Amino acid sequence: MKISGMLSDLLRSLFKRPATEQYPFIKRKPPERLRGELHYDPSNCSGCMLCMKDCPANALELIVIDRKAKRFVMRYHADRCTFCAQCVSSCRFKCLNMSNEEYELAALTKAPFTVHYGNESDIQAILEAVAPANTEPAAKA
Amino acid sequence: MEANKFIVPIGPQHPALKEPGHFEFTVDGEVVTDATIRLGYVHRGVERGTEDRTWVQNLYLIERICGICSHIHATAYALGVEKLAGVSAPPRAQAIRELFCELERIHSHLLWVGVAAHEAGFDALFMYSWRDRETVMDLLEGLSGNRVHYSCNVLGGVKFDIDDTQRDTILRGLEFLEQRTQHYLDVVTNDAAFLRRTRGVGVMTREQAIEYGTVGPVARASGVERDVRVDAPYLAYDQFPVKTITDTAGDLEARFAVRVRELFESYRVIREILDNLPRSELAAKMPRKIPPGEAISRVEAPRGELFYFIKSNGGEKPERVKVRTPSICNFGSVGRLTIGHQLADAPMILAGIDPCFSCNDRAVYITRNGDTQRWSWDDLCRYGVANAE
Repeated sequence: MKISGMLSDLLRSLFKRPATEQYPFIKRKPPERLRGELHYDPSNCSGCMLCMKDCPANALELIVIDRKAKRFVMRYHADRCTFCAQCVSSCRFKCLNMSNEEYELAALTKAPFTVHYGNESDIQAILEAVAPANTEPAAKA
Repeated sequence: MEANKFIVPIGPQHPALKEPGHFEFTVDGEVVTDATIRLGYVHRGVERGTEDRTWVQNLYLIERICGICSHIHATAYALGVEKLAGVSAPPRAQAIRELFCELERIHSHLLWVGVAAHEAGFDALFMYSWRDRETVMDLLEGLSGNRVHYSCNVLGGVKFDIDDTQRDTILRGLEFLEQRTQHYLDVVTNDAAFLRRTRGVGVMTREQAIEYGTVGPVARASGVERDVRVDAPYLAYDQFPVKTITDTAGDLEARFAVRVRELFESYRVIREILDNLPRSELAAKMPRKIPPGEAISRVEAPRGELFYFIKSNGGEKPERVKVRTPSICNFGSVGRLTIGHQLADAPMILAGIDPCFSCNDRAVYITRNGDTQRWSWDDLCRYGVANAE
């Protein structure tokens, strides 16, 4: 039996530098597979809506304007998203991917959490149709 | 003597554990003469919630039942649903799932070693084991992109593959962890001060372990050879088997030793999987609607046997999902084992079963007229049965 099994660990630690990382001044490289903000590319989309149906947090809304002309608008609610990437694996046409760099998503207002993807004019049309004039536009194409 | 009875209430909010549970210890001086437990403070209605979500959506709700063993919950659910659908995940997916299970076991056991050491007042071990746990958390983050909810499962397979760089990273991490685990095994079995808190404390004989219905490392520390990975192999456990680690002492020291020695078994099996990873697809095709039927799936979570009952009526959503977690099986033993010990040993004995309150609170137990504050052994049994039905 030993008097103290970890005494040598403790003594060695006395002479070590602090382990604290100086975030946000020095940022660690995020892992390759980190699941951050979702991105949508309508060019291959077939409008099958599987991403919407499979999302466990109801964070996705796919608005079909013209299926043949591939005019889709994706409304992504980043505040509801659980970053599980089920939509990414459900999509057969690789329209969705999750960024491994955009993970600092905190904001002071709710507006930045509703993100629209798609054609610029389609997004404008949808925003004008849905929202009254006083809401701030949250478009981020 | 009723007038002289002194009851020490602990919890539901208390400084020792992070999760809510209420305990009442009747004491005679410093010695515990009776103990009752009350659970149900973190009932979240997950089982009812599953009935409103599709099969796919449930995977992520189920994963959030536990923040420590998230992957094993999702795996148990996925295995059950795959059984109902008559689909089996491809061999590579099975092996990757097993790999995640074992990495999760490593992080869970290292976490427990820390928490239990903290309960004993041995904070050096707590901090060092948690520092080393970061290694396995980083491995999991590298593999899946997330530290806690890996979401590596999809119905029918897995999302992530393992490439050669990741393989090397895992092997490097395991080498470091193995070295540290050897050190911790030495500490928990040799440190004189620590042994005074663990040796001969909370002794549970083999017969008692069976009578109280304990599972997992708690039962194995009392010499009960009970491990779902060996008894009823699932995933790739028949291809990459593990050995059951048991101890005969049945005290807290044995529970430490069993869990730490299980880590070596996990390191070995992970290396074996990485060396012989089968080549195949990552996921099989799953139907959107699951054929009607009932399925049971049993897996070995880090804390013991995890049980899922899944019933389908042929639709897009399950009709019933029933979860029985290992903590509920082990709680009964705490009330019995603390009797005769010092009050100061009670938190250690409780921590010894590695309780996970959020996991096990599947039912709330209310009696309108009567004392709901104190649960006897019979009440606990009834709670367990209500949980199972």
